[in-house]
Amino acid sequence: MKILTTVKKVVDVELNIHVENGAIVEKGLQYVINAWDENAVEAAVQLKEAHKAETTLVSLGSGDNTDMIRKCYAMGIDNAIHIDDPALAKADSPTFAKVLQKVYEAGDYDLVIAGKQAQDTDAGQAGIMLGEFLGIPCVSNVIEIKVTDDTHIQVSRLGDAGTEIVDVTLPAVVTVSDSINEPRLPAMRGIMMAKKKKITVMDLAGLGTSFEEIGGTAPASEVVEFMPVQKRKGGQKFEGDPADITARVVQLLVNEAKVL
Amino acid sequence: MSPLLMTVLLVVGLGFFARTMYQRILLLMSLEPADRFNRIKDRLKNLVTIALGQKRLVGRKKERASGIMHAFIFWGFCILLIRSITLYGEGYVHGFQLPLLGESSFLGYLYLALKDVTEGIVLIMVIYAFYRRLVVKPPRLHNTWEAYLVLGLIGVLMVSDLLYDGARFMLVNAYGNPGDLHYFNNPTFGKEFVWTPVTVAAGNVISGFSAVGLERVMVLMFWVHIITQLIFLNILPFGKHFHVITSLPNVFFKSPDYPHEKIKLLDLEDESVWEDETLGVNHLYQLNWKQGLDLYTCTECGRCKEVCPTYVTDKPLNLHDFNDTLKEEMYANADNLILRAKLAKTLTGNEEADAKTKEKMAVFKPEKALVGEVIALDTLWACTTCRACEQVCPVTIEQVPRIIAMRQGQTLMQGEYPEELNTAFKGLERNGNPWGIGYDKRADWAEGLDVKLMADDPNVEYLLWVGCAGSFDDRTQKVSKAVVKILKAAGVDFAILGTEEKCTGDFARRSGNEMMYQMMATENIETLNNYKVKKIIAACPHCLNTLKHDYPQMGGHYEVIHHTDFINQLIADGKIRVKKSLGGALTYHDPCYLGRYNEIYDAPRSILAGMSNQGLSELPRHGTESFCCGAGGGRMWMEETIGTRINVERSREIVDEKAETVAVGCPFCLTMIEDGMKELDKDEQVKTRDIAELVAEHLA
Repeated sequence: MKILTTVKKVVDVELNIHVENGAIVEKGLQYVINAWDENAVEAAVQLKEAHKAETTLVSLGSGDNTDMIRKCYAMGIDNAIHIDDPALAKADSPTFAKVLQKVYEAGDYDLVIAGKQAQDTDAGQAGIMLGEFLGIPCVSNVIEIKVTDDTHIQVSRLGDAGTEIVDVTLPAVVTVSDSINEPRLPAMRGIMMAKKKKITVMDLAGLGTSFEEIGGTAPASEVVEFMPVQKRKGGQKFEGDPADITARVVQLLVNEAKVL
Repeated sequence: MSPLLMTVLLVVGLGFFARTMYQRILLLMSLEPADRFNRIKDRLKNLVTIALGQKRLVGRKKERASGIMHAFIFWGFCILLIRSITLYGEGYVHGFQLPLLGESSFLGYLYLALKDVTEGIVLIMVIYAFYRRLVVKPPRLHNTWEAYLVLGLIGVLMVSDLLYDGARFMLVNAYGNPGDLHYFNNPTFGKEFVWTPVTVAAGNVISGFSAVGLERVMVLMFWVHIITQLIFLNILPFGKHFHVITSLPNVFFKSPDYPHEKIKLLDLEDESVWEDETLGVNHLYQLNWKQGLDLYTCTECGRCKEVCPTYVTDKPLNLHDFNDTLKEEMYANADNLILRAKLAKTLTGNEEADAKTKEKMAVFKPEKALVGEVIALDTLWACTTCRACEQVCPVTIEQVPRIIAMRQGQTLMQGEYPEELNTAFKGLERNGNPWGIGYDKRADWAEGLDVKLMADDPNVEYLLWVGCAGSFDDRTQKVSKAVVKILKAAGVDFAILGTEEKCTGDFARRSGNEMMYQMMATENIETLNNYKVKKIIAACPHCLNTLKHDYPQMGGHYEVIHHTDFINQLIADGKIRVKKSLGGALTYHDPCYLGRYNEIYDAPRSILAGMSNQGLSELPRHGTESFCCGAGGGRMWMEETIGTRINVERSREIVDEKAETVAVGCPFCLTMIEDGMKELDKDEQVKTRDIAELVAEHLA
């Protein structure tokens, strides 16, 4: 089985993100692997360990992703492709999905495992769109993948009302939830040994396409402006006799908060 | 007596012994090198106090009786060593005397008396030892047949020598010395028997014998003594009584200064170390010879496990079993290790030629993996690195560095470690703190406190090292604020690094993640050196220990002082005054990395004593024998799923002392004990407070 897993580098959302003039302030930011994609990599590696699969990682974007890819190698990924094109810096989800489609078509993959969304935009679209563009089955929010045979898998999907068990015919796309596994921390030795592993880096032309062809020049959506999250005000503490407090709280709810 | 028999016995006995020792030494030499031949003066001092002085045996109140017992047997052995030489001589020459210790000198008589009393005392001690093992049965002891055999042999040695002399005394005194036996006789000092009351008593026990009978007893006892002695000598290297031979060198070669061997600074950039698995201890041959000597020396006395927080709470780490298992594995693979070391010596540095040698070396591989099979993973990861075991070990075995080296192998090479550590490692890598909170929030706690940043004023006298807990943990932030309040009250010129500070890497290093540690250390040292920082006040003993003892290995040299030490100095200098207004029963929990690692015991106590109007009461386990909170060595970031919880055990001890306030000086201890109190539902009755918080509240 050949597995393709998609990985995105995102802004570390643990940090305070500052916005100035509708744009994110780059200074002080740091970038990390998208947490859900780490789950996707882990899922791919687990399948490989259990079923002799070959795993390939693809990362998209502009800039150097070597550190992130080395860690994925250390986790057990076999091959890595990095599509590095400055044109992709501000691309939207459908554009990314189109690039993934090209990558998919260049290889002969049975299964695509993607994170269900990315921590930076929380859009949750690229994986599902990839399934749509390829015209193959796609199951989202997956919490378990079982291989039935060479051409079938059975996945569990976390829905609002419970867990759905879905039989899927390959090839297919699954997007995984963070409850599917606990990603291993890449072994130090693996990271050091991964220095010797080759990363296939190419731009869109190298992939045999262009920004225009994948729809980048006429995007379906565009980011207009970023706005900072409004800080929540701290609560108010009341001390004293419960009866007095109740009266004061009710009064405040009526007069200040105007919710009653 | 009989030169022929004596020669045969000595050649066989000493020859066999020499062969065993040669094998044992060869095995040690096959291990990794360790530089232990420096600082001879300090080493001799340790030898005199710890080994010859039996400091850790008689020094501990709790173990004083058995300690004295052991000390007397040990000192007895030292004294009787001379006697043995005399007896060997007697085998060849009738009336053999050592120079200076002959009948013409007072020294000779003095030695006789000393030897006589010593034998009596050792015999009594052996009887006491039997009594302890058979009747008292202290739980820490391994009651093995070997222990009884050795005790029995010592008893036989004493009895045979006393009876040998006793029979001689009877023959001379009661039968007119028919065989013309030699005995000390000097006009000034008299007959030797005047000096040997125990021998005389022994003689009286066999006074019913005829002259012929006594002569037979004398000859028999002589040879029984010699043969027993040689058997005893040959048994030693095969069991835990090897310590009789190895403990003196083991103490001599112990680490000077820092309480144990410093964690080796690994060269992680060298690609070959990753390929050859040479980081940490993954295989037996990666132990160094001193660690091997430690294993030879372990006496299985069990003092280590008795004080070990993990053993007490039913974790699988049992230190003397750990030592014993490693030692047995080393013996079982001795030939392999020696052959491998021989081949390793032929490595030339030429890759091609070495490839063949390495191939051959790979053959000498034990059947079982060192960690995972010989030593279980749960055992390795249980340790909190609290050093309680090392502090009490009479023969100064260093457990913690060996455990950390084995963890390095697991973390760096095998990628096998408790998976909970992942989150902490990831947090460290990304945001420089194990919680993984954004690094840019590191100084949020100081908002509104008007604390200077190094970036704004790099010329301040002191850097206040806040630490991750003090920066990110809600509870510990209160301690940081208290420290700031005190420093401000005293007018100390200080600043913090703010968002430029990162975890020191302590927990990473002690859980074997040398890579992450070096990442943290490199960045911190660069920051500190850029600001030309000289003096650091550390508000966490783990930070203190790493900054003070680990960073110099990487070029970071600072004067580091713990906040309690600093506060104590401020009080002594009159820069701040505290009111004696702290009410209620007060006790103090010594953090391991403050006490046992850095020997800061008095400063916290002196501060507390000056504040409390009821005085400070000590916990049963305090000072050097303080009981760990359970969070050291990276355990703070691992689940504690086996046995009972260490922090609850400690908290219970504090509750039992009827304390109303327990003072600590470490953020981990603060968290662990406070949690323990909550678990016991005692958090309302017993308040866990950092010393800085108490001082800040009681400033005059």
